[in-house]
Amino acid sequence: MKLADRRPARWGIRARRRAAHIAIYAILAAVTLIMLFPIAWMLTVSVRPNLEVMKIPPDWIPAVFTLEAYNKVLRSGRYLQTFVNTYFVALMVTLVSLFIGAMAAYALARFRFKGQRAVLMFLITTQMFPLVLLCIPYFQVVVKLGLYDTLTSLIIVYVTFTLPFCTLMLRSYFAQIPKDMEEAAMVDGCTRVGAIVRTLLPLSYPALIGAGLYTFLLAWNEFLFAVVLIEAWEKRVITMAIYSLMAEFVTDWSMMMAFSVLASAPLVIAFIFLQRYMVRGMTAGAITS
Amino acid sequence: MVYPLLQVFRMSFYQVTLRKETWIGLENYAELLQTALFWKVLWQTILFTAGSVTLHLLLGLGLALLLHARINARVRNFARGLLIIPWLLAPTVAGMIWVLMLAPFGVVNGLLATMGLLDSGATITWLGSPDTALFSVTAMNVWRAFPFFMVMLLAGLQAIPEELYEAADIDGTSSVAKFWYITLPGLRGVITTIVLLDSIWTFRAFDPVYVMTGGGPTNSSEVLATAIYFDAFQKLKFGYASAEAIVMFLILFTVSAFYVRRAVREIG
Repeated sequence: MKLADRRPARWGIRARRRAAHIAIYAILAAVTLIMLFPIAWMLTVSVRPNLEVMKIPPDWIPAVFTLEAYNKVLRSGRYLQTFVNTYFVALMVTLVSLFIGAMAAYALARFRFKGQRAVLMFLITTQMFPLVLLCIPYFQVVVKLGLYDTLTSLIIVYVTFTLPFCTLMLRSYFAQIPKDMEEAAMVDGCTRVGAIVRTLLPLSYPALIGAGLYTFLLAWNEFLFAVVLIEAWEKRVITMAIYSLMAEFVTDWSMMMAFSVLASAPLVIAFIFLQRYMVRGMTAGAITS
Repeated sequence: MVYPLLQVFRMSFYQVTLRKETWIGLENYAELLQTALFWKVLWQTILFTAGSVTLHLLLGLGLALLLHARINARVRNFARGLLIIPWLLAPTVAGMIWVLMLAPFGVVNGLLATMGLLDSGATITWLGSPDTALFSVTAMNVWRAFPFFMVMLLAGLQAIPEELYEAADIDGTSSVAKFWYITLPGLRGVITTIVLLDSIWTFRAFDPVYVMTGGGPTNSSEVLATAIYFDAFQKLKFGYASAEAIVMFLILFTVSAFYVRRAVREIG
């Protein structure tokens, strides 16, 4: 009698659990679909003719499929040039920030010196600056240096805010790696630099990739300083080019969306392959310990 | 970083034109505090920030809890990967997608019409009317940046020891109580950090408003960052804009003081 009593109850719990399980998957799927809808819309608009985009009510699925918009972007030297510029700026910013940042981070992680706390505090504070505040003086400095309207000015300005971030992130990672291995290498006759290259760097590549990716993302997506410091078309970066496609009267939406797809693809693809490091970079960016 | 700050501080006491700078003391600040537009913009910035941060937190927490539930690890990684995509987009790109979706002929109106909430033929100009512009920009910003909260909170959830839940299960605790007494306290550190960070980031955000509405119509979606930009680089009132920037900096500085103290304490 007791056994017979128990069985239906157990089934009840199991069924309820399964229902909860299915509900979780269903909600997750629904939310993911809703959140990705704008991305999907960007993709579908990029493959329609522009006239169709402005139809009321909108077609859910493109009536005419065309790659004309991509063709227009890829054939225009002007737009291709913005890609070259953005790659150049983002890569330079990433390399410089990682190189100098790693050295500064090493000093902060391994040595004790006066004012260390103050340096850390200063580095964290720089992350809080309203960038608009820096716009006006940077603009004046860049004009005075004769660097207005050059990609160099963008690289310098971007490094001023990516370098503190890289330093902080790498510092926290270096600090977790025990000193012993470096010391052992130095006992065996390595110089300090040799010891770092042979022991510390191979161990910290996840942090380097994470910090590098995040820096690249910041530089790739930056817009404000690009607007303030760059004028000529040959020097523009992609964020500006996308914005300039919004015209006063008739905007070529399919071309703009095609451009947006092309501009976002490198980051999304990089992210798919390097997701682990990127997530680590994100979490380390906020929680610096 | 220090020189520019001092430079702005100095300029806020001058009337600056392209040719010369004239010392005018606190006049820029006096003008600022008497301008109704400045207060309106400040209020809108606060609304924009509070709305974005609250919704980021709710959405991020909800999704983090969903992803943390007992589901297939592959599904979890896959869903997390997909949901991060909005955060990878440039604010400019995200802004443009939403401008397109919110246009009179856009898909949002189309959706409302299909659901019968909007008469067919009628349109809402989301970005073109003062009542909805700020709201629309906030919606875009919520969509673009929630993945940051989701990822951080998921990492936080995964750091809470499983034993706490097992002990609570033995005691027969309800799931609401478990959430309230184990999950939330366990996340408190992460939540404080990301709410502070996001408040700072959103308060100083420039791109979303600039690309979507340019602050309009009639300043109804203007925030401090865009106001400073327009005052400086279009109206060429560098002194006045510097004064605005200093006020903004002081507000941000107060908020970030909390964050910096926390971060330095954690570093130890």
